Amino acid sequence: MLSIKNLHANIEGKEILKGINLEVNAGEVHAIMGPNGSGKSSLASVLAGRENYEVTEGEVWLDGKNVLDMKPEERAREGVFLAFQYPVEIPGVSNINFLRTALSEIRTHRNLPALSAKEFLKLTKEKQQLVEFEAKLANRSLNQGFSGGEKKRNEVFQLAMLDPKLSILDETDSGLDIDALRIVSNGINKLRSADNAFVLITHYQRLLEYIVPDFVHVLYNGQIVRSGTKELALELEEKGYDWLKELHDNESINK
Amino acid sequence: MAMLNEFTTPLYNQLIAEFEKSGADTSGDILDIRKNAFELFKAKGFPTTKEEDWKFTSLKPFLNDDYSFNAADLDADSLNTVIAQSLVPDLDAYYLVVLNGVIQPELSVLPAKDQVTLQSLHNNEAVAFNGFKNIGDNAMVALNTAFFKGGYYLEVSKNTVLDKPVQIINIYTAKENILFQPRNVVVVNQHAQAELIETTVVLKESALLFVNSVSQLIVKENAQLKQYKVQNNDTNNRIVSYNHINQERSSRYDNFTFCLPGAELIRNNLEVTLNGSATETHLLGLYLVGDHQLTDNHTLIHHKFPNCDSNEIYKGVLLKNGKAVFNGKVFVEREAQKTNAFQQNNNLLLSNNATVFAKPQLEIYADDVKCSHGCTVGQFDPESLFYLRSRGISEESSRKLLVEAFMFDVTEKIEHDALKEYVQSLIYAKMENSFLSVV
Repeated sequence: MLSIKNLHANIEGKEILKGINLEVNAGEVHAIMGPNGSGKSSLASVLAGRENYEVTEGEVWLDGKNVLDMKPEERAREGVFLAFQYPVEIPGVSNINFLRTALSEIRTHRNLPALSAKEFLKLTKEKQQLVEFEAKLANRSLNQGFSGGEKKRNEVFQLAMLDPKLSILDETDSGLDIDALRIVSNGINKLRSADNAFVLITHYQRLLEYIVPDFVHVLYNGQIVRSGTKELALELEEKGYDWLKELHDNESINK
Repeated sequence: MAMLNEFTTPLYNQLIAEFEKSGADTSGDILDIRKNAFELFKAKGFPTTKEEDWKFTSLKPFLNDDYSFNAADLDADSLNTVIAQSLVPDLDAYYLVVLNGVIQPELSVLPAKDQVTLQSLHNNEAVAFNGFKNIGDNAMVALNTAFFKGGYYLEVSKNTVLDKPVQIINIYTAKENILFQPRNVVVVNQHAQAELIETTVVLKESALLFVNSVSQLIVKENAQLKQYKVQNNDTNNRIVSYNHINQERSSRYDNFTFCLPGAELIRNNLEVTLNGSATETHLLGLYLVGDHQLTDNHTLIHHKFPNCDSNEIYKGVLLKNGKAVFNGKVFVEREAQKTNAFQQNNNLLLSNNATVFAKPQLEIYADDVKCSHGCTVGQFDPESLFYLRSRGISEESSRKLLVEAFMFDVTEKIEHDALKEYVQSLIYAKMENSFLSVV
């Protein structure tokens, strides 16, 4: 589904991604771990099309389509979803109006019929229940007055509504207490299917106890320095990132 | 007489000649008032940028054309069509048709006669100036006083609560360049409540239209008046308006001013004098300024008595080479203790070439008051824009949503959904193609 080949990217002239290679197939869950500043969030931003990043080399393909040629909204319509590390509050834009606009643009792109107001409300209710997101959405501005945990849960709710192919969750677990983490994880587990894929960006192994990944990759200094299965996450938890940093700095591991 | 050169524009000379020819037509009480006003205008001339109040707005480019003072005729069929097209869709309202400043009661749908008195101001000049003797030294007001014709006098009877708003449809027709100087008076008597929605239509054949209007409103004890003003003009329009409100004890006045992109010049003066205690005042404004347009809103709230609340929010969206001025003055006299006065002015610049001059001005002489003001000038937040786009919403729609969000503080306060819808649809129609990225 997703194929990243030798991806290099700069921000403000500084190289952050230095040759990332990653293959994600439908039905898979990949975890990307790594120390602070290793480029995890940058990778998520580049995939979603954040404009202050400049891709200098490499390719990104989603089901045979060139992602790097697309605007952020086109990527979203093709099925890329980024759950933000820091969801934005937008006073004056209502949650419902926002969701309706997003869903209608995505459905139009996928040649699906527009939903009636009634169908839309029904879908909203269903998905809210599915991801256990009780916050009242009507007559409220986007993310305004939401706690940190509610904002993260709203991201997962939006994910459920928009039904993407590839979901990238950028530190969705950070700032969540154990109950919220369980709820968010349950929601994501329910959304997993043979047709979609998830990339979980996380700093901690904790999330992976709830969402069991098929693959774990460690990002360090803009490159994937090691890939493995879920056992790699446990090994990291035990030995810390320094272990990999040393290995990498000494041997300059290349995948 | 060197300073005369500053304002001896073609229009100035034309006006001097016109007054000498026909200005003295009127008789009675009004004659002296007109003469005095004319002398004041003659001496002062049109305002120049040397005056503090006109520092950022030069009238000069708009005074070099020849103007006629006579309106063009309009046949009944066309007039009926225009009226039908001007009504706010789906709004249950009365309406008053004013053609070139002259009221058209037979074409209007008005509240019962015991609720509302409507007269042509022309026959009631003495009434018109009752309580407005002191017009100050504003040259544009003096000019209007010297020349105004027609106009309406609208009085809401004591204890009358109008069940529906009254839409005032101003229609102007011109075949050649024309200067209109309408004058209106509204009195809302004790314990009465009314809502006025002012809209304007200009029918012209590529002629210039200069409107210099003056409105005087009195909101009496315990009365409430809500005034909505929709300024939806064309490029060739030059609008100068002066709106003065006198609020008496325990009254409430709300003003909504919507300046849509269009007119090359809009200069609004909105002045509220609080002539009693325990009043409430809300001034809400939106100004959307298009390419090479200038929109200037000057507001003044004059607190003279204790325990009065005033609240002001003006929001501006500037496109391309648009230029806006906001000057919000709040004057709190020594006697006006326990005043609450809040003012907020926010500006969103959608282009690197747009300019805004914002000047909050608080003059406070009382010591037990709560007054604040805030002013911002900014552009789209890139993170908000990216967030919306990352959900599949096009860049254009995202910008539109963010502009809508920016204006929300003001639009949410429009009580009638149909009116809200109408104003928003005008905004989006006028701003079509303005939401694309501008570098």
